[in-house]
Amino acid sequence: MTRSARLGLSLTVLAWAGLGLAPLVLDDWNIGLLTQYVTYGIFALSLGLIWGQAGILCFGQAIFFGIGAYSMALVTLGKLPWLGDSQWTGLALAVLLPMMVAALLGWIMFQGRALSGAHLAIVTLCAAVVCEIAARRWEFIGGFNGLFNVPPLSAPNGDPLSTNATYFFVGIAALLTYLLSLWIGRSPLGTVLAGIRNDERRTLHFGYDVRLHKIFVFTVSGAMAGFAGGLFTTQFGFVSPPLVGFALSTEVLIWVAVGGRSVLMGAFLGALAVRATENAMSASLDQYWLIALGALFILVVVVLPQGLFGKLLALAPPRRLGRGGTR
Amino acid sequence: MQATIALLLDTANFTLALLLVTLGLVVIFGLMNVINMAHGEFFLIGAYVVVAVSGATGSFWLGLLLAPVVLALVGLLVEWLIIRHIYHRFIDTILATWGLSLVIKQGVVVLFGPGAQSVPNPLPTAVDVFGVQYPAYRLFIMALAAALALATYYLFFRTKLGLQIRGVIANRAMAASLGINTRRMDRATFAVGSALAGFAGAVMAPIMSVDPQMGVGFLIPSFLSVLVGGVNSLVGALIGSGVIGGATTIFSAGISQADAQILVFLLAMIIIRFLPNGIIGGRK
Repeated sequence: MTRSARLGLSLTVLAWAGLGLAPLVLDDWNIGLLTQYVTYGIFALSLGLIWGQAGILCFGQAIFFGIGAYSMALVTLGKLPWLGDSQWTGLALAVLLPMMVAALLGWIMFQGRALSGAHLAIVTLCAAVVCEIAARRWEFIGGFNGLFNVPPLSAPNGDPLSTNATYFFVGIAALLTYLLSLWIGRSPLGTVLAGIRNDERRTLHFGYDVRLHKIFVFTVSGAMAGFAGGLFTTQFGFVSPPLVGFALSTEVLIWVAVGGRSVLMGAFLGALAVRATENAMSASLDQYWLIALGALFILVVVVLPQGLFGKLLALAPPRRLGRGGTR
Repeated sequence: MQATIALLLDTANFTLALLLVTLGLVVIFGLMNVINMAHGEFFLIGAYVVVAVSGATGSFWLGLLLAPVVLALVGLLVEWLIIRHIYHRFIDTILATWGLSLVIKQGVVVLFGPGAQSVPNPLPTAVDVFGVQYPAYRLFIMALAAALALATYYLFFRTKLGLQIRGVIANRAMAASLGINTRRMDRATFAVGSALAGFAGAVMAPIMSVDPQMGVGFLIPSFLSVLVGGVNSLVGALIGSGVIGGATTIFSAGISQADAQILVFLLAMIIIRFLPNGIIGGRK
């Protein structure tokens, strides 16, 4: 293992350990905030998986996040009586429905003469806009105002979970999502995805079914984003049309780019870092915050394509690709 | 009959305004392979230049003249500050210009507030067109947009400069080795494309509600026009604007505007899905 890879591994482990120990030093209010950031982190992971690993630049990732959030809200508010109102059902639907939508969208976009690059970005951007408009006009899901009073995560006996318990629930969910993405990225499948990212045509000519791989990873990513959306709703207690819209889609893009698109942990920590900074700065910078964020984003894209954490957190390539191979 | 004529006029009006924005996008993308996500915000700045100038001096026409000049300078600045550094990283140009659009939009909010501004109509009379009372200013927009579009076509297909630009689009390396300064060409194109967007924003300001979100409202239809019509082709831009502008106006006449938008987007996505090279390149 090279030195930088050892550093990456230790920093990654350290980051997770730090998150695990956070309740020892932070009060309830800050733990609540951190829980939200970690939820956004899961969302960022979903984008990091398709963008960083497979090179699919999706401008509509919030579609899946929002559908997940709405699913959770609809189920737990009892709006879908035949499904009951259990939170587990809600979470299951928050994973399944976005997954199916992602599979459908992926099939539309990648089957046939596959869309890529600019076409893909614009089609997904438009899809997000269409979803937001549709959500505003659909009265069943609350129309313009959205749905309110979504119950918080609760224990099996019906009591709401304590702040710390919610934090650990979300944190473990994030860890599992991370490990799943990492496993996909480091498996032979992930190597094919990296091949698609680097040279799609060559991968195609090596005999891999590029479309199927893309649709698969897009579907998994949609499920993850929906999962994050489901968790999000229980913390905020409401859902509204901007959750499926393109503003949130671009925000997650910024988190991932700033954190480091090519490294999953970078994407995850990017979400945490940007949201935490936003929270700390938005009071003092007020309306200049968005300008600062945009400028930071431009700067990172132009000067540091690896993102702030990308280099630091890079792990060694999988062992089967050769000992200490160079990336 | 009168309703049909009015609808046709509205369609032509929107299509031509869209064409101005789209032309800038197509030229920049065709020549530089840069997707300018901040193009909608250039449109936005154009509109706000008119707001600021007509507020300060009371003259709408001065604002209309200044807007493309301001935007050409903005275009040069953006090219110099950002674009030239990320020339060969296609995806990064999308991201960086997207960041730029956030900065500009929020900058406008800071300077002018988030609310809608209104610009008084400089030609408040109506003209009789085949028995329909149609606002004179809208006719003026159509005439101006058509003239500018024609001028752009003339520039591209009838002048030496246009020939050089088309040469760079077709084969950059070859054009460069024939002694064409491709970098200067890029800068000029970016400035002209930006100026076109700014001019469109300025000219549309009196008939739209001028607010910080109006750029996005125009960016997406114009992107769709580019993709629907066919990337890399000026004729494609015309066809695309016609399809998107026409569909938007015609659907809006029958159903609510939000539903019309959904329908237009879906229509565009289906076209893009099945004709990835656009209507122009469909049979290739």
